[in-house]
Order: sequence, then C-alpha cells, then structure tokens
Amino acid sequence: MSTPASVAAVVVTYNRKDKVTKVLDHVLSQTRKPDWVLVVDNASTDGTPEVLARYTEHEHVRLLRLEENTGGAGGFAHGMSKAYELGADFVWIMDDDCYPNDDALEELVNGHAKAEEAMGMQLPYACSVVKWTDGDICEMNNPGTTWDWGRLLAKGVDGVLTTSCSFVSVLVPRWAMTRFGLPLKEYFIWFDDAEYTLRLGKAAPGVQCLRSVVVHDLGVNRGVNFGDINHSNIWKFEYGARNEASYRLHHEDFGAFLRHVQRTLRGMREGRVSWPLRLRVLKALARGIRFNPKPEFPRSVL
Amino acid sequence: MTEKADIVKLPKTFELLDESGIGLDGADGLLNERERRLLVGAANFHALAGPGRTFRFTVLRGPSGTLPSLTDEACHQIGWADDREVVGSMVVRSLVHTTAKFSPADGLVDLVVDLGGEPRLASAYDQLPGLLGKARRTVRFMAPVQFDALRQFRTDVVERRHRTRPVPRKAPVRLARGAAARRPATKPAVLFGLHWLELGGAERWALETVQMAREAGMVPIVITDRPSSHSWIERPELEGAVIVPLTHPTSPEQESAFLNGVLSTYDVRGVHLHHCTWLYERLPWLKSIRPDIPVVDSLHILEWRTGGFVDISVRMSNMIDKHHVISPQLRDYLVGRQGVEPEKVELATLATLTTAGIERPGRVEGAADPFTVSFVGRFTQQKRPYLFLQLAAELRATAPGRVRFVMHGDGELAGEVMARRDRLGLADVLEVRGPDQPVARTLAETDALVISSDNEGLTLTSFEATAAGVPVVSTDVGSQASLIADDLLCPRHPFPFVRLAAERLRTMMTSPDQRKTWLDEQAVKAEAFAKLPDARTWTRDLYEGWLK
Repeated sequence: MSTPASVAAVVVTYNRKDKVTKVLDHVLSQTRKPDWVLVVDNASTDGTPEVLARYTEHEHVRLLRLEENTGGAGGFAHGMSKAYELGADFVWIMDDDCYPNDDALEELVNGHAKAEEAMGMQLPYACSVVKWTDGDICEMNNPGTTWDWGRLLAKGVDGVLTTSCSFVSVLVPRWAMTRFGLPLKEYFIWFDDAEYTLRLGKAAPGVQCLRSVVVHDLGVNRGVNFGDINHSNIWKFEYGARNEASYRLHHEDFGAFLRHVQRTLRGMREGRVSWPLRLRVLKALARGIRFNPKPEFPRSVL
Repeated sequence: MTEKADIVKLPKTFELLDESGIGLDGADGLLNERERRLLVGAANFHALAGPGRTFRFTVLRGPSGTLPSLTDEACHQIGWADDREVVGSMVVRSLVHTTAKFSPADGLVDLVVDLGGEPRLASAYDQLPGLLGKARRTVRFMAPVQFDALRQFRTDVVERRHRTRPVPRKAPVRLARGAAARRPATKPAVLFGLHWLELGGAERWALETVQMAREAGMVPIVITDRPSSHSWIERPELEGAVIVPLTHPTSPEQESAFLNGVLSTYDVRGVHLHHCTWLYERLPWLKSIRPDIPVVDSLHILEWRTGGFVDISVRMSNMIDKHHVISPQLRDYLVGRQGVEPEKVELATLATLTTAGIERPGRVEGAADPFTVSFVGRFTQQKRPYLFLQLAAELRATAPGRVRFVMHGDGELAGEVMARRDRLGLADVLEVRGPDQPVARTLAETDALVISSDNEGLTLTSFEATAAGVPVVSTDVGSQASLIADDLLCPRHPFPFVRLAAERLRTMMTSPDQRKTWLDEQAVKAEAFAKLPDARTWTRDLYEGWLK
C-alpha cells in the first residue's frame, strides 16, 4: 500500500483582507483536505496580517509574510518553493479571490489521476473550471486548449486537454516542479501563469477537470484587453506587454513576438488609448527584447 | 567470535598448497595485513575465474604510492618493472566446482601479482601529466580561490547541460528465468559492488551493509573496481567477506568466468551496488542469466563533473529493482527529473550514521569571546579548505570582535593548508588539528561550523554539529538544504560564498539571539529529517527478505 499523495494549497494575497479569509475558509472546508495551507502575504499594507492572525493556531495553516511585494509571480514562486520543501506531492495554487467549491480539490486530484490513466502518461498540471460570481465562465481564466482537446471526453473522462491556464486553482505535481522549476518571479504580474503552464506543457498537455469548480470573485467579468488601458492600470499592462513579448521572442520565435506587438497595438488603437500611454506600452514591449529571466528550481529538503 | 570464525571458513574459494614469505599459513611473512588481504583478494578472483585450477602467485611490492595490479592482464606476464621487489610466492588450488577434467598438460597457471606500495596521500592535481598539467597545477596552487571560481563556472555549464538532458536507458531484460547451466549452490550470499575500500561516506555506509549481510547469515562478496591501495581492507566490517579488488583491464573471458564462479559457488540472493561502475555495466548480462536475483543500489551524491554514479544508475534502471537514495534531492532527481517510477525509489537516510540520534541542541548560550569558527573534514579538493582559510582572513579583518579558527582534519591538501595559513597571516588565530583528536572536543569549543564544500551528499558533520548545538554555515550544495537554516546556505561560487558566510558569522557574533534562531531552525530541520525512513532498518529488512 502506497501512502496517499500529499497536497499543499498555496494562496497568494496582497491587500485583500476582506476576501482572503473567505478563500481560506473555502480551502479549509474541502472534502479532500490539503495537508498544508500556505498563505503568502505579499507585504500587504491593509491589515491583512491582523486578519490572518486568527489562522495561526490552525494545524494545517502556515503564514508566510514577505518583506516586500513580489507580485503574484514572486508570491507563487515562494509559496510553491516552500510547499516543495515541506515534501508536498502536489501544490494547489490560487489567487486571494478564488472560492473553490467544497469538492474542488478532491475532483482535481481524482480528475488528474484519471486523466493520466486514460492518457497513459504523466500530466504536468490540472486546473479547475473557473466561474464568475454569476455562474458564467470567468473570461480571464479560460484555459487554452490543445488541438485534440476532446480526447479525454472520448475516453469517458470529464476533462479537457489544455496548453495553458491561469493561476486560479491549478494542481501541479512535484515532479513537474523538479523538472521545470518555479514560476518566473521576475514577471511580477501577468503572463507568469501562462508562461509557467506553457513551460510545463513541454512534457505533456495539462488537463482541465470539468468536475472541479471554483468561483473567481473579480470586480467585472472581462478578459485581458489592451484597449482598456488607463492611467490607473497602465502599470499592469506594462508588465503584461513586456512579459509576453519576452516569452514570444525568447521561447517561441520572432514571428510570434511581432504578432504580439501587432495585437497589442491594434488593441490600443481600437480602444483609443491616449498616445502617451501607448508610448509607455511600446517601451515595455521593447524591454521584453532584453528581458529573459531563467527559472529557479526548488530545493529538496524533505 | 565464533560467528566470525565460522564465516571465515564458509566462503573458501581456494586452498593453500604452499607459500613463502606471505604469512597465510600462520608463519611470519614479509607482507603486512593489508597486503595479505589484497593477495587473498587477487587469489579469490583467479580461483573463481579458474575453477579447479592450480595457481602459482609470484608476489611483488612496488614503491610507495604505486597502485596494485591484481586481476588485470598484466598478471599473466612473468616479467616486471625494475623497481618491483619480490616479496612472496604462493601456490593455491581453486575450490570452485567444475565439471571439467584438467589434464596434466594444463599444469600450473603462473600469475604475477603486484601489491603496489604503501598508500600515499596525493591530490588529483599531482597526477596531471605534461606541460599543461604542470601549468594547471601551478595556477591551482598559486591562486586556489581564483582557480576555484573558474571551476565553479565549469560546474554551472555541466550542470545546465545535465539538467536539460534525459539520461538514455538501457533496454530491459525480458526473461523471467535464465537457462540453467550449473547446479544450484547452497551458501547464501550477497554480491556487493564498491568503488574502493578507502575513506568516504559512501564507503562507510557500504561497509555497514556488508556487515549487515554477514549478520543476516549471508556471505558478502565484495567487488571493487577502482585502482586503489584499499587502505580500509582491514576494517572489521569486512571480516568473513570474499573480497575481490579488481584491477583493469581484465580479459573478457575471465570476467564472465569470474561471475560464473561466484554464481556457482554461492547462492547469490541479491546484488547491492555502491558506486561500482564495473558491476553496473555487467547488470544486463547478470539479469539475462539470473533474472531472479534482485538488484538494488545505494546512491549518495548527485554530481556530474567527474562522471556521476546517479546517471549510470539511471541508465541501468531497467536492470535495478530498487534505487536506495539517502537524500530527498536524489529522490527528486530520479523521480522528477529522470522519470524513474516512484515505487522503485526508496528514500532511507543515514541520519544516525555517526550520531546516536538527533536531539534538540543543548548548547544555546550566547557566543563566546573569542568567537570560534571551525572546519571539520578532510583536506581535499571537494571540501575546499582553502576557501575556509579565505573566509578566516576576511573575518579576521572585518569581525566585530575577537575570533579564532580551528581546522580539524587531514588529507592531500594538508601541506597547502599550512602554507596558506602562514601566507594569509593566520598562524596566531588558526589552529590545525589532526584527526587523532576527537571531533566532539572541537565541536564543544565551536560557536559556528563552516562547510565550504563544492559538492556534498549530506554532510555527517552537520548532524554532529546539530547534536552539539552548533549552527552550521554551509554552501547550498547537495542536500544541505535539508539540514541547514535557510539564511545560512551560501552560494557555491567562492567569492559570493566568502562574502555571505562572513556576513552571517559577523551577525552571529553581534547577535546571539539571531544565532539561536538559526540554530533552532537547524534543529527543527534535523528533527524533521530524522523522521524520514532509516537506511539501516530498510537494508536489514531487505536482506531478511532476500533470505526467505
């Protein structure tokens, strides 16, 4: 009899004290309990530590407070690294506004195992179906699918083969972290999840487990659109433009890079984004040419 | 005592007909015990490879530092170099079962066995040939730290290459039963493959397993495959073992004859490899004639620059039933990186190999004056004692208080250690202690231990330091992260290492609280590590299973 696989949930939070506790309550009430729940506080300044303090006595919860805000990418890299050091066989990662259904983890673990059995190979990640608060699909978190996405459905498994997904309820097996390392913390925010799952996808496709469902509590249900740039959100789009430019150029090819530039410019033109903001995004795209961080690998401790 | 005597009688591979100068028949001989055992090892090989035959050994001794020639093709030549002296002669008859009838024409087989000279400590750099070798040697010893920086860059390149390259696998043997060629033997035995019989962590564990096999009631057959003077051949763990110290190149027909001899004389219940390339390479053949014999290997350290047994193990994984690894890093490498089936990999640690068990440290008081920083380990290239000296020089110049240093050990770089100590002006603050002194005494005086190695499996001194309540500053190599506080893990590259290690030690000197925090973290890690499965228990159960 082999021992059941252990799972560490990793929740990264930054200044969302009103939502993060709801996330944790959902995580802790799973039908398949995680063996550890690691909460990475990205140096929140809104009183998050005080709110999280009530979990300090919980035997499964570990609070990891960072000295500075490292972005979602840095937070996930840190949390996953710590989960790996604890000896977790799987890491289950999510944002601080993701409410998993009670059986989300159980379905994710079972769905991943069934998909592996059906495919006859190891699959490097499994993700949940991400809904918005109104029950519709969350537009920002719809995974990319492979050309043969229905292969599992044909075999009677409730799953879809994917090329990439966002960090909203993703299960990553330990071997994938050993082989491919951690998310690129240098990305800080945006496209870190796509880059990471695309990287894992070099081994095999991922799987979206259709029975595992989470709710992503975003303000508005809208996907990424460069036409939405304004003065308050430009910093985020700059990261997105740079990160994807870097990925397309250094991990795909020059053509993919040019297509990304073209898409970005078209989006800004259609959204009538002001010229100074367009210029900032252009500069961010140019930064992607030299920006090419390398992944760090987690340490084996236990 | 009786157990030992019984077992010595059991594994007889030859009988002594006559001898002169050897001392095997109880009379005084010209050979010392190490040499005698090497000769018995050579006779074991030839007796197993030549069943029923009679051999006359002419025994030579070489100058100090020369290596033995015991089983290679040169043994069949009856001429030898000018500097070899003849120290004995011996006639033995192989007791290995054979159905062949030897005619008188087969007569005596004459063999010349060179036992080499007394072991001599020498670094690999001393053996570099030619002008280029001389240049490398000169640069290495004139500027060891700078030279080391270049070595580390080379390590980076090699590691990167290996990270991205899956190791190809040898195709599996699909037979469930080998065609029987010989009658079954009755003496249960374990076939061990070792690198050599010299000082080392892997060897220490290997010898323990040899002893465990004997205690379980099986004859240990110990093959080594590296040229060596085998200074550990006299160790008590090897009592009763059939030792075969191979020297290469052996002739191909002798190799199969030797293994056939082993399989016909002994009921081999299992094969246990400890870093033995020769035996790894013969596993496919062994599995094809005896697929019923289980094979396990014990892996200690992940390294590629000088070969790497882990990758040989991965290549032969289809022939290996269980990979025993001593660290989580090795488990993750095999399972995660190389895709070896998780159920084939067994993590069982040697956490208690040199300590009676890990306890919470008792020595947690504030740092002393002077603050004592120690290095405990062999003075070898791998341990980089010159880097510790560089760190000592840096600390002496920048420490916020009085500081003293202890270097406890010996080895091929002992001369360099003494010379650099003087050159760096550390003679008055740095004491060098030989291995004749107890490590426990050094640790009792120590406020912080430094491990400056460029690679490690899992340092046993880290366990000892934890048990003694001493925080350890270490390079972040191998599985050191399993034992050392996160902040005290330093880069492998020499200059960043010195910079960060000095900073951490200065912090310890000024902040006993921080030192205690790090020590507590180290103790927590050690406790968690100690709860992992134990290698001894696992091996004992394994051998008991082989006996059933």
